Amino acid sequence: MTQVKTEQQQPAATGATLIVFVGLAIAFLLFMAFLNVVKSGNLLSETNLLFAALIFYAGAGALYLGFGVTGTESYVKFASLATWAGLIANSGAIAHRWYEAGHPPFASVYEMLLSFVWTLAVLTLIAEKKYHVKVIGTVTMPVAIVGVVLMQLLRTEVHPLVPALQSTWLHVHVTLAMLAYAACALSFALAMMFLIQDNMKTETFLAVTSASSVAIYASIVLTRFEKWGGLSLVGWDAEHKQEVFISRGVRLFVVIPDLGWLMLLALMVVAAPLILYGLARWKKDGSYLAVANRAVFVSILLQIMTLVMFLLRARDGSYPSLDADGLFATSLAASPFILSALVGGIFISLLYLLLLWRRPDLERLLPDATSLDRITYKTICLAFPLLTLMIAAGAYWANQTWGSYWNWDPKETWAAITWLVYAGYLHMRITRGWRGRRAAYFAILGFGVVMFTFFGVTYLLPGLHAYA
Amino acid sequence: MAASSSIHSGTKAGKSLPRRVWQTAASIKTGVVLLILVVILAAAGTIILQRPMTEADDMQRAYSPQALRILDATSMTDVFHAWWFLGLMALVSLCIIAASIDRFPNAWRYYSRPYKYPDASFRKALHPQKSIPIADEETGLVAAERAIDSLGLKPERVVREDHFGIFSERHRISEMAVYIVHASLLLIFFGWIIDGVYGWRGSINLNEGQTSNEIVLRDGKIRTLPFAIRCDAAGQENYKDGTPKKWWSKLAVVEGGRDVKTKEIVVNDPLLYSGVRFYQASYGGTGKAKKLVITATPNASIQPAGAGAAGIGLPTPAPKEISLAVGETADLDANTSVRFAEFFSDYAVRDGQVYKRSNEVGDPAAHLIVSTKGTSKAGAASFDVWFPSIPEVADNAKAPYLLEPKDLTMGHYTGLEVSHEPGQWGVWTGVVLMGVGLAFVFYVVHMRFWAVPVRDDKTGQTVLWVGGSTNRNRDAFEQRFAELVEAVEKEVRTISLHAPSERTVTTAAS
Repeated sequence: MTQVKTEQQQPAATGATLIVFVGLAIAFLLFMAFLNVVKSGNLLSETNLLFAALIFYAGAGALYLGFGVTGTESYVKFASLATWAGLIANSGAIAHRWYEAGHPPFASVYEMLLSFVWTLAVLTLIAEKKYHVKVIGTVTMPVAIVGVVLMQLLRTEVHPLVPALQSTWLHVHVTLAMLAYAACALSFALAMMFLIQDNMKTETFLAVTSASSVAIYASIVLTRFEKWGGLSLVGWDAEHKQEVFISRGVRLFVVIPDLGWLMLLALMVVAAPLILYGLARWKKDGSYLAVANRAVFVSILLQIMTLVMFLLRARDGSYPSLDADGLFATSLAASPFILSALVGGIFISLLYLLLLWRRPDLERLLPDATSLDRITYKTICLAFPLLTLMIAAGAYWANQTWGSYWNWDPKETWAAITWLVYAGYLHMRITRGWRGRRAAYFAILGFGVVMFTFFGVTYLLPGLHAYA
Repeated sequence: MAASSSIHSGTKAGKSLPRRVWQTAASIKTGVVLLILVVILAAAGTIILQRPMTEADDMQRAYSPQALRILDATSMTDVFHAWWFLGLMALVSLCIIAASIDRFPNAWRYYSRPYKYPDASFRKALHPQKSIPIADEETGLVAAERAIDSLGLKPERVVREDHFGIFSERHRISEMAVYIVHASLLLIFFGWIIDGVYGWRGSINLNEGQTSNEIVLRDGKIRTLPFAIRCDAAGQENYKDGTPKKWWSKLAVVEGGRDVKTKEIVVNDPLLYSGVRFYQASYGGTGKAKKLVITATPNASIQPAGAGAAGIGLPTPAPKEISLAVGETADLDANTSVRFAEFFSDYAVRDGQVYKRSNEVGDPAAHLIVSTKGTSKAGAASFDVWFPSIPEVADNAKAPYLLEPKDLTMGHYTGLEVSHEPGQWGVWTGVVLMGVGLAFVFYVVHMRFWAVPVRDDKTGQTVLWVGGSTNRNRDAFEQRFAELVEAVEKEVRTISLHAPSERTVTTAAS
């Protein structure tokens, strides 16, 4: 009995420490921001509101993470308080943007992120209050933080809507898209939780985490590694806040020396856990796994170092280009994709560490496998009609604007592919009775396609859908 | 896939070939394989550059000649119009039709003849179910009726030879919903195919005031409409920062020499006439001068040809204002006329000649010719007047009139996209139907409840067997079932409390 008591006592003590720490950090940052506000005399500007949202979301993220790691219930209360505060600031930023632009904030990547982060915060609070999935903030809040940081970089002036975008159907289409994608994201998170509760081995998560990191760094190295270890990035015209073009549609790349070597090194280090996992499977020797877990830890440190180096070098400075003479500037805003990939890589590795160290706590906190499986299905039942309506509204809008409801433009095609994947999921589940693992894999695949449709198509495949 | 389907056909070796083909087409496995193929090919179509959206030059830059030849030969450069892609879509449609026909009779039987009285084996297997002890059959039936009624459902008394039962259900239509969705998908495909076969798309650029009935189709061919379209005016409104806010054109449909329809169209609001839609797509300068306004003053530095003494000593007359379109001639006086000969939107001079450098509006130049008729004193002469005055070619100062440009109005065109989509109705009806179907599939639940008084042979006790079934959302249903059971138990208790009077009434009634 006494032992139990001391065990309960201990997290409570550390709990108070974390809350005090986070509280102090928020107070300090707000104070600094306040000094800035006093200097500029403008309190409720969009930048300030976004900054406040960032601070609160970061605080909430730290507390949720603390809850995920230690399982201290009292963190959650403060975490959701911070989320509420962040949400209010975020809503303020949206309202400000809406008022300034005169249209709902869906017209650029920046505005979409603004709305996406807002939806994410709302969903987190709903999941927590209504469905008691408290741990969900551990996943969603870091995503929200990444979103707000990206917004600081991608921040654009209010662009008036070009004629093609002035349609009610656009707002219907984008709102439906946001809702559908948020539901897909939720089904993905639930499917991952299902896999945890379904006793999927921790080392399988290790392999998946490592493989994702390898995919991230391999694609960076394969597409951007230049001779003599440079890393090529898109040039940035700070004056006009846009990418530098050599000719129509051809971007100018600058080469940052030595950063390529760092990426290559990071690739090798993040591949180490995967190789060790392979060895463990091949030799049937579990001792390799212990080394692999340590390698993950090392890889996180190196990934953070890579990110810091990337931030420092790409933020400013002039670099030579292979395509033209002279020195050109670049900016983080020119490489949002690489930046989010680097941050995302660190984030998934951290999530793996959370799982590795606190699996029993997570299992205790999460709903059981059967209900997670069912909730995943329900979320997709919500997402699928939304996807259908989103595509229909988009088609109707296209018909009004371009004279054709279907143009086989990459974004459209990938939206249709997303729809087909989820249709496949529903058919397998309803008529073939797929449950559990297979259904969860399918849900994860579906979200992968959604991510590609949302980000990949925008940045990799050109088309009519140039607005977002 | 292949292995399992061969096992499948192996076990049904006795079946005929058409039957086997039918079963393969109707199987969900075939459907999924086809869908995976569609996904892979469609994805390839977004990654490989597609004609005609990509210019031929860009294609050649992106791929080696050999690769391009292979891609072109296999239609991979135009996936979505390739015969094999359309064939695949047709196969998907056939598969949906086969699967629906294969499963429909069963579903229809289920729908049209609801299962109202559960037999013993059904009662044994069903979940959820509950047995509630009752005093006699009638108490149970009445209690069940009241309980079902209290839940907002309609109870129905079922009579089977010597048995009685209560049956109640809600939203039986939900069982048919999946067919609504599949039918709507086929309707969309149907409309899309109609558009593919009979529809066309093209564009037309009209200068202000121009009338035309020739549409340039996507493949470069010309399509002549039975009516003509005229652009009366077109314009652009800008935001403060100069980005376009609105494009508009005033259009008129001309048929049989009469204006049959006029409309001012803007982006997102097309003109529709006999199945052909005209969309505002772009707006721009034609690069041609619409109207040039000049002022003409007699040239005092030279003896005006044929002016005689009339002009001498008089004050300089007020400049004359003349408005000219390209090719137009205007008289300056009885002997002198001016013609607006040429207009260059962007000019360059080489070897004493003026050339057109581009069609863009860059350095514009206007060429006017002032001519004088031959008189007794001097022969006919003509002078080239240029705006701006280009040193090598311009005779501006030598002409009998000094001309000054005052205003230049450039011509504008409106760019219209034109489309004819006769299958559209199918697509939109299909979309609406699909929305309804999906709403039924996911949110309308078919639930059934049965209540049957049963005599337990071992104990001799009469119980009311209550069972329920649903086609989805089991959790919510089980909660509802629990509510029903509770309500039935409550009704049973109230009935037995008022037992004597109640019993007599009911027996009298039956």
